[in-house]
Amino acid sequence: MFFPKVAYAAEGGMEEGVQVVFELYGLEVTSEITTMWGVMLFLTIISFLATRNLQRIPSGLQNIMEFVIESLINFLAGIMGEARAKKYLPVLASLFITILISNYSGILPGAGHTPGLKAPTSNWSVTLGLAIVVFLAVQFYGFQARGPGYLKHFFEPLPFMFPLNIIEQFTRVLSLSLRLFGNVYGEEMVVAGLFALVPLFVPIPMQALGLLFGFIQAFVFTLLAAIYISEATEVHH
Amino acid sequence: MSIHVDTMILAIINFLVLVVILNKFLYKPITNILDERKKEVMRNLDSAEAAKKEAEKAKEEYLKQLENARKEANEIISKATKLGEETKNEIISEARNEAAKISAKAQEEIRLEKSKALNELRDEVATLAILAAEKIVSKNIDKKDHEKMIQEFVKEVGEAR
Repeated sequence: MFFPKVAYAAEGGMEEGVQVVFELYGLEVTSEITTMWGVMLFLTIISFLATRNLQRIPSGLQNIMEFVIESLINFLAGIMGEARAKKYLPVLASLFITILISNYSGILPGAGHTPGLKAPTSNWSVTLGLAIVVFLAVQFYGFQARGPGYLKHFFEPLPFMFPLNIIEQFTRVLSLSLRLFGNVYGEEMVVAGLFALVPLFVPIPMQALGLLFGFIQAFVFTLLAAIYISEATEVHH
Repeated sequence: MSIHVDTMILAIINFLVLVVILNKFLYKPITNILDERKKEVMRNLDSAEAAKKEAEKAKEEYLKQLENARKEANEIISKATKLGEETKNEIISEARNEAAKISAKAQEEIRLEKSKALNELRDEVATLAILAAEKIVSKNIDKKDHEKMIQEFVKEVGEAR
């Protein structure tokens, strides 16, 4: 059940850049999804270990995670103030951490060639899913914070801007998802190309750059999501 | 490049599940302990501030007490000095009085003694004169003449003096 599917994917699926590993309740599970599960498992274990035995004076993993969370809160507080930063932390911090680790999963040896291991963010479907989550979160939090008044901001600054404002909401989904996907995919293609030409040492600088790009893309995605949520939940006086 | 809908749906589900997991195992515990630590630091700072204030108050009180004690000591010293001065003056004046009294008494005594001595001397001289006169005259004169002579003699002696 496992291998025939891979063989099938290798023939037909690969052309579309999709490698189906197996099916689950009628849904085709691709390498991106299995890798994402791995990322989730990794993050869950790390989180569990970091907070299993919280110490007043932190050390090791707890210290690292405290630093990460505190930095994220401070970063978000700079955009939307501390109260909202703490409120929207779960979604925004999860976006950052998930995208970062997903990007870095493409650096693992064999990623992209091994069935079941491929950077999730190098697939547009995954980044589109994340961008849709951001879109839904913006609408949800907007209504939650401002009630029906949220709809009013679609008619601002002038009523005839309404269609443009609506289009903007959807172009954001496209720009968010395509930016992330394009960067990760492009970087992986360059590394793969270099690897095909000179398999030794030459791809290393590009992979090092990949570490930087992976961080920047996760950062940019989270920054934009935070700005969208901040804008939607801004209570005007 | 096309959208694989199943992947997109699973990615969304994965992400939402991850949000729940991370919220439970990461964000909540970490933000809780961060808040707790912040509160504790605040509490410690507050108590340190209170302790500092208390110490300052105590210090002020001690300084005040010290100042009072110094003032009191000065007062006592000045009082004692004054008392000493008074006592000294009293003693001196008393001594002076006493001395004056003693001196007056002594002078009086001297004067008495002198007059007494003079009288005694006068009597002695008279007796001696009578004896001498008796020896020289060697004759009995009646008492009346005798006394008259003595008076004359004494008068002469007195004048001669």
